Amino acid sequence: MIEHLAPEIVNGIVLGAFYAIIAIGLSLIMNLTGTINLAHGSFMTLAGYLAFTLMSRGSNFWFALAASAICTAIIGLVVERLLISPLYKRVPLYSLLLTFGLSLVFEEVFRLIWGPSTVPFSAPPELSGATQIGDVFLPTYRLFIMVALVVVMVALLVFLYRTRLGLRLRGAVQDAEMLAALGTNTQLLYMTNFGLGILLAAIAGVLAAGLLGLGPTMGNDLLMPAFITVVIGGMGSLAGSIVGGLLVGLAISITTLYLPAASEVIMYVLMAVVLLIRPRGLFGEEGIFG
Amino acid sequence: MSDARLLEVERINTYYGKSHILHDVSLHVEQGEIVTLLGLNGAGKTTTLRSILGLTPPRTGTVKLNGRELRGLAPHAVARLGVGYVPEGRRMFKNLSVLENLQLAERGTVGDGWTIGRVYDRFPKLKELAGRKSGRLSGGEQEMLAIGRALVGNPKLILVDEPSQGLAPIIVIELYKTLEELRRQGASILLVEQNALLALKVSQRAYVIDDGHIVHTGAADELAHDQPRIRGLMGLREDEDIPA
Repeated sequence: MIEHLAPEIVNGIVLGAFYAIIAIGLSLIMNLTGTINLAHGSFMTLAGYLAFTLMSRGSNFWFALAASAICTAIIGLVVERLLISPLYKRVPLYSLLLTFGLSLVFEEVFRLIWGPSTVPFSAPPELSGATQIGDVFLPTYRLFIMVALVVVMVALLVFLYRTRLGLRLRGAVQDAEMLAALGTNTQLLYMTNFGLGILLAAIAGVLAAGLLGLGPTMGNDLLMPAFITVVIGGMGSLAGSIVGGLLVGLAISITTLYLPAASEVIMYVLMAVVLLIRPRGLFGEEGIFG
Repeated sequence: MSDARLLEVERINTYYGKSHILHDVSLHVEQGEIVTLLGLNGAGKTTTLRSILGLTPPRTGTVKLNGRELRGLAPHAVARLGVGYVPEGRRMFKNLSVLENLQLAERGTVGDGWTIGRVYDRFPKLKELAGRKSGRLSGGEQEMLAIGRALVGNPKLILVDEPSQGLAPIIVIELYKTLEELRRQGASILLVEQNALLALKVSQRAYVIDDGHIVHTGAADELAHDQPRIRGLMGLREDEDIPA
Protein backbone atom coordinates (compact mmCIF):
# COMPACT_ATOMS: atom_id res chain seq x y z
CA MET A 1 0.00 0.00 0.00
CA ILE A 2 2.55 2.54 1.17
CA GLU A 3 4.82 1.75 -1.76
CA HIS A 4 2.02 2.82 -4.11
CA LEU A 5 0.93 5.79 -2.10
CA ALA A 6 4.31 7.27 -1.21
CA PRO A 7 5.34 8.14 -4.78
CA GLU A 8 1.93 9.69 -5.41
CA ILE A 9 2.22 11.78 -2.27
CA VAL A 10 5.66 12.97 -3.36
CA ASN A 11 4.15 13.66 -6.76
CA GLY A 12 1.35 15.62 -5.18
CA ILE A 13 3.73 17.66 -3.04
CA VAL A 14 5.94 18.46 -6.04
CA LEU A 15 2.97 19.49 -8.14
CA GLY A 16 1.58 21.42 -5.20
CA ALA A 17 4.87 23.25 -4.72
CA PHE A 18 4.72 24.34 -8.36
CA TYR A 19 1.15 25.56 -7.96
CA ALA A 20 2.17 27.39 -4.80
CA ILE A 21 5.11 29.19 -6.41
CA ILE A 22 3.01 30.21 -9.39
CA ALA A 23 0.14 31.25 -7.13
CA ILE A 24 2.46 33.38 -5.00
CA GLY A 25 3.68 35.22 -8.11
CA LEU A 26 0.11 35.74 -9.28
CA SER A 27 -0.90 36.98 -5.83
CA LEU A 28 2.02 39.40 -5.56
CA ILE A 29 1.05 41.00 -8.85
CA MET A 30 -2.69 40.90 -8.20
CA ASN A 31 -2.47 42.37 -4.70
CA LEU A 32 -0.36 45.34 -5.56
CA THR A 33 -1.74 46.47 -8.88
CA GLY A 34 -4.98 44.54 -9.35
CA THR A 35 -3.52 42.95 -12.46
CA ILE A 36 -4.65 39.39 -13.11
CA ASN A 37 -1.68 38.17 -15.08
CA LEU A 38 -2.93 35.61 -17.57
CA ALA A 39 0.48 35.69 -19.25
CA HIS A 40 2.11 34.24 -16.15
CA GLY A 41 2.23 30.74 -17.62
CA SER A 42 3.81 32.09 -20.79
CA PHE A 43 6.73 33.44 -18.81
CA MET A 44 7.23 29.98 -17.31
CA THR A 45 7.28 28.42 -20.74
CA LEU A 46 9.57 31.15 -22.04
CA ALA A 47 12.07 30.47 -19.25
CA GLY A 48 11.93 26.76 -20.05
CA TYR A 49 12.66 27.36 -23.74
CA LEU A 50 15.47 29.80 -23.00
CA ALA A 51 17.08 27.22 -20.71
CA PHE A 52 16.55 24.54 -23.36
CA THR A 53 18.27 26.66 -26.00
CA LEU A 54 21.19 27.43 -23.70
CA MET A 55 21.61 23.77 -22.80
CA SER A 56 21.41 22.65 -26.41
CA ARG A 57 24.35 24.98 -27.02
CA GLY A 58 26.40 23.32 -24.36
CA SER A 59 25.54 25.18 -21.21
CA ASN A 60 25.05 23.12 -18.10
CA PHE A 61 21.70 22.94 -16.31
CA TRP A 62 22.62 25.28 -13.46
CA PHE A 63 23.86 28.10 -15.63
CA ALA A 64 20.85 27.70 -17.91
CA LEU A 65 18.50 27.86 -14.92
CA ALA A 66 20.02 31.06 -13.57
CA ALA A 67 20.51 32.81 -16.90
CA SER A 68 17.07 32.03 -18.28
CA ALA A 69 15.34 33.03 -15.05
CA ILE A 70 17.12 36.38 -15.03
CA CYS A 71 16.49 37.01 -18.75
CA THR A 72 12.82 36.12 -18.39
CA ALA A 73 12.46 38.47 -15.41
CA ILE A 74 14.04 41.27 -17.45
CA ILE A 75 11.65 40.60 -20.32
CA GLY A 76 8.88 40.73 -17.70
CA LEU A 77 10.07 44.15 -16.55
CA VAL A 78 9.98 45.46 -20.10
CA VAL A 79 6.48 44.08 -20.66
CA GLU A 80 5.33 45.64 -17.37
CA ARG A 81 6.70 49.09 -18.20
CA LEU A 82 5.64 49.24 -21.84
CA LEU A 83 2.33 47.42 -21.84
CA ILE A 84 0.89 46.75 -18.40
CA SER A 85 1.78 49.84 -16.36
CA PRO A 86 -0.20 52.24 -18.59
CA LEU A 87 -3.31 50.28 -17.58
CA TYR A 88 -2.89 50.48 -13.79
CA LYS A 89 -5.30 53.38 -13.50
CA ARG A 90 -8.02 51.53 -15.34
CA VAL A 91 -10.31 48.75 -14.15
CA PRO A 92 -8.62 45.31 -13.99
CA LEU A 93 -10.52 44.13 -17.07
CA TYR A 94 -8.08 46.01 -19.31
CA SER A 95 -4.97 44.30 -18.00
CA LEU A 96 -6.83 40.99 -17.98
CA LEU A 97 -7.52 41.35 -21.70
CA LEU A 98 -4.01 42.53 -22.39
CA THR A 99 -2.31 39.65 -20.58
CA PHE A 100 -4.71 37.15 -22.16
CA GLY A 101 -3.75 38.49 -25.56
CA LEU A 102 -0.09 38.37 -24.60
CA SER A 103 -0.37 34.71 -23.64
CA LEU A 104 -1.79 33.91 -27.09
CA VAL A 105 0.99 35.84 -28.78
CA PHE A 106 3.63 34.13 -26.66
CA GLU A 107 2.22 30.71 -27.45
CA GLU A 108 2.34 31.31 -31.20
CA VAL A 109 5.86 32.68 -30.97
CA PHE A 110 6.91 29.54 -29.08
CA ARG A 111 5.43 27.40 -31.87
CA LEU A 112 7.23 29.45 -34.51
CA ILE A 113 10.62 29.27 -32.84
CA TRP A 114 10.64 25.92 -31.07
CA GLY A 115 7.94 23.98 -32.93
CA PRO A 116 4.51 22.74 -31.91
CA SER A 117 5.49 19.58 -30.06
CA THR A 118 7.44 19.03 -26.87
CA VAL A 119 11.21 19.32 -27.03
CA PRO A 120 13.54 16.94 -25.20
CA PHE A 121 14.43 18.61 -21.93
CA SER A 122 16.14 16.30 -19.52
CA ALA A 123 17.16 16.79 -15.97
CA PRO A 124 20.93 17.04 -15.41
CA PRO A 125 22.71 13.69 -14.92
CA GLU A 126 23.52 14.40 -11.29
CA LEU A 127 19.79 14.65 -10.58
CA SER A 128 18.59 11.68 -12.62
CA GLY A 129 17.96 8.25 -11.19
CA ALA A 130 16.22 7.43 -7.96
CA THR A 131 16.96 7.86 -4.30
CA GLN A 132 15.98 5.27 -1.73
CA ILE A 133 14.28 6.56 1.39
CA GLY A 134 13.30 3.73 3.72
CA ASP A 135 11.63 1.11 1.53
CA VAL A 136 10.61 3.56 -1.11
CA PHE A 137 12.48 4.64 -4.23
CA LEU A 138 11.77 8.21 -5.26
CA PRO A 139 12.98 10.02 -8.38
CA THR A 140 15.92 12.21 -7.40
CA TYR A 141 14.78 15.07 -9.64
CA ARG A 142 11.45 15.29 -7.83
CA LEU A 143 13.17 15.42 -4.48
CA PHE A 144 15.46 18.12 -5.83
CA ILE A 145 12.46 20.15 -7.03
CA MET A 146 10.86 19.91 -3.61
CA VAL A 147 14.00 21.20 -1.94
CA ALA A 148 14.54 23.91 -4.55
CA LEU A 149 11.01 25.26 -4.30
CA VAL A 150 11.19 25.32 -0.51
CA VAL A 151 14.46 27.28 -0.74
CA VAL A 152 12.84 29.74 -3.15
CA MET A 153 9.86 30.24 -0.84
CA VAL A 154 12.04 30.77 2.21
CA ALA A 155 14.14 33.29 0.28
CA LEU A 156 10.97 35.11 -0.72
CA LEU A 157 9.70 35.23 2.85
CA VAL A 158 13.05 36.56 4.07
CA PHE A 159 12.91 39.20 1.36
CA LEU A 160 9.36 40.27 2.20
CA TYR A 161 9.70 40.24 5.98
CA ARG A 162 13.34 41.11 6.60
CA THR A 163 14.27 43.77 4.05
CA ARG A 164 13.33 47.41 3.53
CA LEU A 165 12.13 46.76 0.02
CA GLY A 166 9.97 43.90 1.26
CA LEU A 167 8.48 46.20 3.89
CA ARG A 168 7.65 48.74 1.21
CA LEU A 169 5.92 46.07 -0.85
CA ARG A 170 3.83 45.03 2.13
CA GLY A 171 2.95 48.65 2.82
CA ALA A 172 2.09 49.37 -0.79
CA VAL A 173 -0.36 46.47 -0.90
CA GLN A 174 -2.34 48.24 1.82
CA ASP A 175 -2.17 51.85 0.66
CA ALA A 176 0.10 52.64 -2.26
CA GLU A 177 -0.98 56.28 -2.49
CA MET A 178 -0.11 56.93 1.16
CA LEU A 179 3.23 55.23 0.65
CA ALA A 180 3.93 57.55 -2.28
CA ALA A 181 3.00 60.54 -0.13
CA LEU A 182 5.63 59.35 2.36
CA GLY A 183 8.32 59.44 -0.32
CA THR A 184 8.37 56.00 -1.95
CA ASN A 185 8.50 55.79 -5.73
CA THR A 186 5.59 53.43 -6.20
CA GLN A 187 6.04 53.01 -9.95
CA LEU A 188 9.49 51.55 -9.28
CA LEU A 189 7.91 49.33 -6.66
CA TYR A 190 5.23 48.05 -9.07
CA MET A 191 7.96 47.20 -11.52
CA THR A 192 10.11 45.39 -8.96
CA ASN A 193 7.11 43.48 -7.74
CA PHE A 194 6.14 42.34 -11.21
CA GLY A 195 9.71 41.31 -11.93
CA LEU A 196 9.78 39.32 -8.72
CA GLY A 197 6.57 37.47 -9.63
CA ILE A 198 8.00 36.67 -13.06
CA LEU A 199 11.31 35.53 -11.55
CA LEU A 200 9.41 33.00 -9.42
CA ALA A 201 7.46 31.85 -12.48
CA ALA A 202 10.67 31.53 -14.49
CA ILE A 203 12.44 29.38 -11.91
CA ALA A 204 9.36 27.19 -11.65
CA GLY A 205 9.20 27.03 -15.44
CA VAL A 206 12.71 25.67 -15.89
CA LEU A 207 12.24 23.13 -13.09
CA ALA A 208 8.87 22.07 -14.51
CA ALA A 209 10.31 21.61 -17.98
CA GLY A 210 12.50 18.77 -16.73
CA LEU A 211 9.54 17.10 -15.06
CA LEU A 212 6.47 17.66 -17.20
CA GLY A 213 8.04 18.03 -20.63
CA LEU A 214 8.48 21.32 -22.44
CA GLY A 215 5.91 22.35 -25.04
CA PRO A 216 4.27 25.63 -26.04
CA THR A 217 1.44 25.24 -23.51
CA MET A 218 3.41 23.92 -20.54
CA GLY A 219 3.01 27.04 -18.42
CA ASN A 220 -0.59 27.67 -19.38
CA ASP A 221 -1.46 24.12 -18.34
CA LEU A 222 -0.17 24.93 -14.87
CA LEU A 223 -1.93 28.27 -14.70
CA MET A 224 -5.49 27.09 -14.05
CA PRO A 225 -4.57 24.97 -11.01
CA ALA A 226 -2.50 27.93 -9.79
CA PHE A 227 -5.49 30.27 -10.02
CA ILE A 228 -7.57 27.71 -8.14
CA THR A 229 -4.79 27.62 -5.57
CA VAL A 230 -5.09 31.37 -5.13
CA VAL A 231 -8.83 31.10 -4.65
CA ILE A 232 -8.59 28.19 -2.21
CA GLY A 233 -5.76 29.72 -0.20
CA GLY A 234 -7.33 33.15 -0.15
CA MET A 235 -6.33 36.25 -2.09
CA GLY A 236 -3.34 38.01 -0.70
CA SER A 237 -2.10 35.30 1.60
CA LEU A 238 1.31 33.70 1.10
CA ALA A 239 0.55 30.96 3.61
CA GLY A 240 -2.74 30.43 1.78
CA SER A 241 -0.93 29.95 -1.53
CA ILE A 242 1.41 27.36 0.00
CA VAL A 243 -1.30 25.38 1.77
CA GLY A 244 -3.70 25.75 -1.16
CA GLY A 245 -1.06 24.58 -3.62
CA LEU A 246 -0.24 21.50 -1.59
CA LEU A 247 -3.94 20.67 -1.18
CA VAL A 248 -4.57 20.93 -4.90
CA GLY A 249 -1.43 18.96 -5.76
CA LEU A 250 -2.17 16.16 -3.31
CA ALA A 251 -5.82 16.00 -4.29
CA ILE A 252 -4.88 15.59 -7.96
CA SER A 253 -2.19 12.98 -7.43
CA ILE A 254 -4.14 10.86 -4.96
CA THR A 255 -7.22 10.96 -7.16
CA THR A 256 -5.04 9.87 -10.07
CA LEU A 257 -4.17 6.75 -8.10
CA TYR A 258 -7.65 5.75 -6.95
CA LEU A 259 -10.05 7.34 -9.40
CA PRO A 260 -8.12 8.47 -12.48
CA ALA A 261 -11.23 9.63 -14.30
CA ALA A 262 -11.86 12.27 -11.62
CA SER A 263 -8.33 13.66 -11.48
CA GLU A 264 -9.11 16.53 -13.82
CA VAL A 265 -12.17 17.66 -11.94
CA ILE A 266 -11.07 17.16 -8.35
CA MET A 267 -9.53 20.62 -7.96
CA TYR A 268 -12.80 22.27 -8.96
CA VAL A 269 -14.65 20.16 -6.41
CA LEU A 270 -12.09 21.15 -3.79
CA MET A 271 -12.50 24.81 -4.67
CA ALA A 272 -16.29 24.59 -4.49
CA VAL A 273 -16.15 22.94 -1.08
CA VAL A 274 -13.70 25.48 0.33
CA LEU A 275 -15.71 28.41 -1.01
CA LEU A 276 -18.95 27.03 0.41
CA ILE A 277 -17.41 26.84 3.86
CA ARG A 278 -15.22 29.93 3.64
CA PRO A 279 -15.96 32.29 0.77
CA ARG A 280 -12.76 34.28 1.19
CA GLY A 281 -10.55 31.18 0.97
CA LEU A 282 -8.64 29.45 3.74
CA PHE A 283 -6.33 32.29 4.73
CA GLY A 284 -7.87 35.17 2.85
CA GLU A 285 -8.74 38.50 4.34
CA GLU A 286 -12.11 40.01 3.92
CA GLY A 287 -12.47 42.69 1.30
CA ILE A 288 -8.99 42.59 -0.19
CA PHE A 289 -10.30 44.49 -3.18
CA GLY A 290 -12.44 46.79 -1.04
CA MET B 1 15.75 81.74 -3.18
CA SER B 2 16.39 82.42 0.50
CA ASP B 3 13.66 85.03 0.77
CA ALA B 4 11.12 82.84 -1.00
CA ARG B 5 8.17 81.75 1.10
CA LEU B 6 8.16 78.25 2.52
CA LEU B 7 4.98 77.36 0.66
CA GLU B 8 3.44 79.53 -2.01
CA VAL B 9 0.32 78.29 -3.74
CA GLU B 10 -0.79 80.56 -6.54
CA ARG B 11 -4.08 80.43 -8.41
CA ILE B 12 -4.36 76.68 -8.67
CA ASN B 13 -7.30 75.05 -10.40
CA THR B 14 -7.90 71.40 -9.64
CA TYR B 15 -10.41 69.01 -11.15
CA TYR B 16 -11.78 65.58 -10.38
CA GLY B 17 -12.52 64.36 -13.86
CA LYS B 18 -14.68 67.10 -15.30
CA SER B 19 -15.74 68.68 -12.02
CA HIS B 20 -13.88 71.83 -11.26
CA ILE B 21 -13.10 71.67 -7.53
CA LEU B 22 -10.57 74.41 -6.75
CA HIS B 23 -10.96 77.84 -8.37
CA ASP B 24 -7.86 80.02 -8.39
CA VAL B 25 -6.88 79.01 -4.88
CA SER B 26 -3.91 80.95 -3.52
CA LEU B 27 -2.38 80.66 -0.08
CA HIS B 28 1.00 80.66 1.57
CA VAL B 29 2.76 79.41 4.67
CA GLU B 30 5.79 81.10 6.21
CA GLN B 31 8.54 79.29 8.03
CA GLY B 32 7.47 78.55 11.62
CA GLU B 33 3.77 79.23 11.14
CA ILE B 34 0.67 77.20 11.71
CA VAL B 35 -1.83 78.22 9.07
CA THR B 36 -5.37 76.90 9.17
CA LEU B 37 -7.58 76.30 6.19
CA LEU B 38 -11.19 76.29 7.38
CA GLY B 39 -14.22 75.19 5.50
CA LEU B 40 -17.16 72.85 5.49
CA ASN B 41 -17.25 69.33 4.15
CA GLY B 42 -16.73 69.37 0.42
CA ALA B 43 -15.43 72.95 0.34
CA GLY B 44 -12.10 71.81 -1.13
CA LYS B 45 -9.83 71.55 1.92
CA THR B 46 -8.55 68.05 1.32
CA THR B 47 -8.31 68.71 -2.40
CA THR B 48 -6.05 71.67 -1.65
CA LEU B 49 -3.69 69.42 0.31
CA ARG B 50 -3.83 66.73 -2.37
CA SER B 51 -3.00 69.37 -4.97
CA ILE B 52 0.09 70.47 -3.05
CA LEU B 53 1.25 66.86 -2.67
CA GLY B 54 0.72 66.02 -6.33
CA LEU B 55 -1.84 63.33 -5.47
CA THR B 56 -4.44 65.26 -7.46
CA PRO B 57 -2.28 67.59 -9.53
CA PRO B 58 -3.72 71.02 -10.32
CA ARG B 59 -4.25 71.75 -14.01
CA THR B 60 -3.10 75.33 -13.75
CA GLY B 61 -1.33 77.54 -11.25
CA THR B 62 1.87 77.08 -9.29
CA VAL B 63 2.83 75.38 -6.05
CA LYS B 64 6.25 76.37 -4.77
CA LEU B 65 8.25 75.14 -1.80
CA ASN B 66 11.08 77.54 -0.98
CA GLY B 67 10.71 78.86 -4.49
CA ARG B 68 10.94 75.46 -6.11
CA GLU B 69 8.05 74.40 -8.36
CA LEU B 70 6.24 71.29 -7.13
CA ARG B 71 3.46 71.13 -9.69
CA GLY B 72 4.11 68.33 -12.13
CA LEU B 73 6.22 66.31 -9.71
CA ALA B 74 5.15 62.84 -8.59
CA PRO B 75 3.97 62.60 -4.96
CA HIS B 76 7.12 60.79 -3.81
CA ALA B 77 9.26 63.58 -5.25
CA VAL B 78 7.17 66.22 -3.45
CA ALA B 79 7.52 64.24 -0.22
CA ARG B 80 11.29 63.97 -0.66
CA LEU B 81 11.59 67.71 -1.20
CA GLY B 82 10.17 68.18 2.28
CA VAL B 83 6.39 67.98 2.43
CA GLY B 84 5.04 65.74 5.18
CA TYR B 85 1.48 64.47 5.26
CA VAL B 86 -0.83 63.53 8.12
CA PRO B 87 -3.88 62.42 6.17
CA GLU B 88 -7.53 62.52 7.03
CA GLY B 89 -8.54 59.29 8.71
CA ARG B 90 -4.83 58.70 9.50
CA ARG B 91 -4.41 56.01 6.83
CA MET B 92 -2.35 53.60 8.84
CA PHE B 93 -0.70 50.65 7.15
CA LYS B 94 -2.90 48.68 9.45
CA ASN B 95 -1.35 45.24 9.04
CA LEU B 96 2.10 46.65 9.77
CA SER B 97 3.44 47.31 13.22
CA VAL B 98 3.94 50.76 14.70
CA LEU B 99 7.68 50.45 14.12
CA GLU B 100 7.17 49.35 10.50
CA ASN B 101 4.87 52.30 9.85
CA LEU B 102 7.66 54.58 11.02
CA GLN B 103 10.33 52.72 9.06
CA LEU B 104 8.35 53.18 5.86
CA ALA B 105 8.48 56.95 6.29
CA GLU B 106 11.95 57.36 7.77
CA ARG B 107 14.29 59.47 5.73
CA GLY B 108 17.65 60.38 7.17
CA THR B 109 18.77 63.93 7.55
CA VAL B 110 21.99 65.60 8.52
CA GLY B 111 22.27 67.02 12.02
CA ASP B 112 19.62 66.74 14.67
CA GLY B 113 16.61 65.72 12.63
CA TRP B 114 13.78 63.44 13.64
CA THR B 115 14.61 59.77 14.03
CA ILE B 116 12.42 56.91 15.16
CA GLY B 117 14.19 57.14 18.52
CA ARG B 118 13.28 60.81 18.89
CA VAL B 119 9.68 60.12 17.94
CA TYR B 120 9.61 57.45 20.66
CA ASP B 121 11.01 59.96 23.16
CA ARG B 122 8.33 62.46 22.24
CA PHE B 123 5.51 59.88 22.18
CA PRO B 124 6.51 57.23 24.73
CA LYS B 125 3.23 55.43 24.13
CA LEU B 126 4.34 54.59 20.60
CA LYS B 127 7.50 53.00 21.94
CA GLU B 128 5.43 50.81 24.25
CA LEU B 129 3.27 49.77 21.30
CA ALA B 130 6.15 49.42 18.81
CA GLY B 131 5.40 45.80 17.94
CA ARG B 132 1.63 46.13 17.75
CA LYS B 133 -0.20 46.24 14.44
CA SER B 134 -1.18 49.85 13.85
CA GLY B 135 -4.73 48.85 12.92
CA ARG B 136 -5.21 47.81 16.53
CA LEU B 137 -4.30 51.16 18.07
CA SER B 138 -6.89 53.59 19.41
CA GLY B 139 -7.77 56.63 17.32
CA GLY B 140 -5.61 58.92 19.43
CA GLU B 141 -2.64 56.56 19.25
CA GLN B 142 -3.06 56.31 15.50
CA GLU B 143 -3.08 60.09 15.18
CA MET B 144 0.18 60.26 17.17
CA LEU B 145 1.64 57.61 14.91
CA ALA B 146 0.48 59.50 11.83
CA ILE B 147 2.24 62.61 13.14
CA GLY B 148 5.35 60.62 14.07
CA ARG B 149 5.33 59.07 10.64
CA ALA B 150 5.32 62.52 9.06
CA LEU B 151 8.08 63.73 11.38
CA VAL B 152 10.57 60.92 10.62
CA GLY B 153 10.50 62.06 7.00
CA ASN B 154 12.01 65.33 8.31
CA PRO B 155 9.70 67.59 6.32
CA LYS B 156 10.05 71.34 5.98
CA LEU B 157 6.28 71.66 5.95
CA ILE B 158 3.64 69.32 7.38
CA LEU B 159 0.15 69.10 5.92
CA VAL B 160 -2.32 67.98 8.58
CA ASP B 161 -5.82 66.99 7.50
CA GLU B 162 -8.71 66.90 10.02
CA PRO B 163 -6.63 65.57 12.93
CA SER B 164 -9.48 65.88 15.44
CA GLN B 165 -11.85 63.74 13.43
CA GLY B 166 -13.27 60.88 15.45
CA LEU B 167 -11.22 61.59 18.57
CA ALA B 168 -12.44 62.18 22.13
CA PRO B 169 -12.31 65.88 23.15
CA ILE B 170 -9.59 65.33 25.75
CA ILE B 171 -7.40 63.61 23.14
CA VAL B 172 -8.03 66.44 20.69
CA ILE B 173 -6.76 68.99 23.19
CA GLU B 174 -3.60 66.96 23.77
CA LEU B 175 -3.17 66.67 20.03
CA TYR B 176 -3.36 70.42 19.55
CA LYS B 177 -0.85 70.94 22.33
CA THR B 178 1.47 68.67 20.38
CA LEU B 179 1.02 70.68 17.19
CA GLU B 180 1.74 73.91 19.04
CA GLU B 181 4.82 72.43 20.64
CA LEU B 182 6.10 71.22 17.27
CA ARG B 183 5.68 74.72 15.93
CA ARG B 184 7.67 76.21 18.80
CA GLN B 185 10.43 73.78 17.88
CA GLY B 186 10.41 75.21 14.37
CA ALA B 187 7.88 73.13 12.44
CA SER B 188 5.65 74.76 9.85
CA ILE B 189 2.16 73.38 9.49
CA LEU B 190 -0.73 73.79 7.11
CA LEU B 191 -3.76 72.58 9.03
CA VAL B 192 -7.13 71.68 7.60
CA GLU B 193 -9.99 71.56 10.07
CA GLN B 194 -13.70 71.67 10.51
CA ASN B 195 -13.14 72.23 14.21
CA ALA B 196 -12.68 75.93 13.59
CA LEU B 197 -12.37 77.43 17.07
CA LEU B 198 -9.76 75.00 18.29
CA ALA B 199 -7.72 75.26 15.10
CA LEU B 200 -7.73 79.07 15.27
CA LYS B 201 -6.32 78.97 18.81
CA VAL B 202 -3.07 77.37 17.69
CA SER B 203 -2.79 79.15 14.34
CA GLN B 204 -1.20 82.44 13.36
CA ARG B 205 -3.18 82.93 10.18
CA ALA B 206 -6.28 81.44 8.64
CA TYR B 207 -7.92 81.01 5.28
CA VAL B 208 -11.54 80.15 4.72
CA ILE B 209 -12.46 78.12 1.68
CA ASP B 210 -15.99 77.81 0.40
CA ASP B 211 -17.06 75.94 -2.71
CA GLY B 212 -13.48 75.87 -4.00
CA HIS B 213 -12.85 79.60 -3.54
CA ILE B 214 -10.74 81.26 -0.87
CA VAL B 215 -13.23 83.69 0.66
CA HIS B 216 -11.24 85.07 3.58
CA THR B 217 -7.64 85.56 4.64
CA GLY B 218 -6.47 87.03 7.90
CA ALA B 219 -4.96 86.73 11.35
CA ALA B 220 -6.25 83.75 13.28
CA ASP B 221 -7.02 85.58 16.52
CA GLU B 222 -9.14 88.23 14.77
CA LEU B 223 -11.21 85.55 13.15
CA ALA B 224 -11.46 83.57 16.39
CA HIS B 225 -13.15 86.52 18.13
CA ASP B 226 -15.57 87.17 15.34
CA GLN B 227 -17.89 84.20 15.46
CA PRO B 228 -20.69 85.71 13.38
CA ARG B 229 -18.07 86.30 10.71
CA ILE B 230 -16.91 82.67 10.83
CA ARG B 231 -20.53 81.62 10.41
CA GLY B 232 -20.94 83.93 7.45
CA LEU B 233 -17.72 82.89 5.79
CA MET B 234 -18.45 79.24 6.18
CA GLY B 235 -21.97 79.53 4.83
CA LEU B 236 -23.69 78.72 8.13
CA ARG B 237 -26.96 80.27 9.28
CA GLU B 238 -27.21 82.35 12.46
CA ASP B 239 -28.69 79.49 14.42
CA GLU B 240 -26.23 76.85 13.26
CA ASP B 241 -23.32 75.87 15.46
CA ILE B 242 -19.78 76.29 14.27
CA PRO B 243 -18.46 72.75 13.97
CA ALA B 244 -16.35 71.97 17.01
